Amino acid sequence: MFNFAFSSISEAIIMESQNGQNHGLYVWSVFGIVFGTLIITFFIYRIKIGNLSKKIK
Amino acid sequence: MIKKFIHQFASPKTYLMQVDKAYSYIFLTSLIIYLVAIFWGLFLTPEDFVQGNSYRIIYLHVPASFISQSLYLGMAFASAIFLIWKVKLSAYLVRSIAPIGAITTFIALVSGSIWGIPTWGTWWVWDARIISTLILFIMYLGLISLHDSFTNNEKADKFLAILVLVGSVNIPIIKMSVEWWSTLHQTASITISDKPAIDTLMLYPLFASVIGFSGLVLCLVLLSSKLQILNRERNKSWVKKYV
Repeated sequence: MFNFAFSSISEAIIMESQNGQNHGLYVWSVFGIVFGTLIITFFIYRIKIGNLSKKIK
Repeated sequence: MIKKFIHQFASPKTYLMQVDKAYSYIFLTSLIIYLVAIFWGLFLTPEDFVQGNSYRIIYLHVPASFISQSLYLGMAFASAIFLIWKVKLSAYLVRSIAPIGAITTFIALVSGSIWGIPTWGTWWVWDARIISTLILFIMYLGLISLHDSFTNNEKADKFLAILVLVGSVNIPIIKMSVEWWSTLHQTASITISDKPAIDTLMLYPLFASVIGFSGLVLCLVLLSSKLQILNRERNKSWVKKYV
């Protein structure tokens, strides 16, 4: 159940499938978009709350 | 009795105190669960026989898609409470959830489009599931614009709540779109009544990713609601003491 699906880091990045297509580009793009969006959103809210708190003070 | 209970525990001040207490625990737990789930899904699950490795996008796309619809249901529930019992906190929550809903719907649409390239051969098709999700995204943006276009906040809250309830008709349409119409988007792999059409090796990390992502999005809602409360209650003496 917990065996690695890839034998090396480069394989995990490229994610070559049995049909010969490399799917790494799609998977890692989505990964970047999801994590990037989450991090930026957290960051923006933190800054906005900080700025508003300063204004109220 | 319900009204008294809601008003007692739904004051913005009490809510903020509870948020501050719970936030770090929810954030850390969710982050750990989500990171483990993503690692599990991207590196430990076997390749799919039909879709190859592109199916691994499921661990990023499905949680976003699920949450984008759940957030709207949350908004509809809060809108109903606001309209029935005039609970101010509910109105703040409706406005706070909208931008987070827009962000998660955006993630669902973009991740779905990218997944479409290797599986469908195209990044976009005008099928019922995708159109209804696009409508959800536009609705979130519309609700934010509508609220911000009012100078009177009380009026804005009321209009927003009514419009959210009217728009909630889109949620069952999104859910059932793959059953009612012939779509390129696949039908649901996990239903309450039937055995999941997905292998347990792939299913467990999917559940974990949904739980982890939901927790992180909940944290964003908490931050967004904190910002909304501080902004709307800025002239109250307790807010000045709080900051």
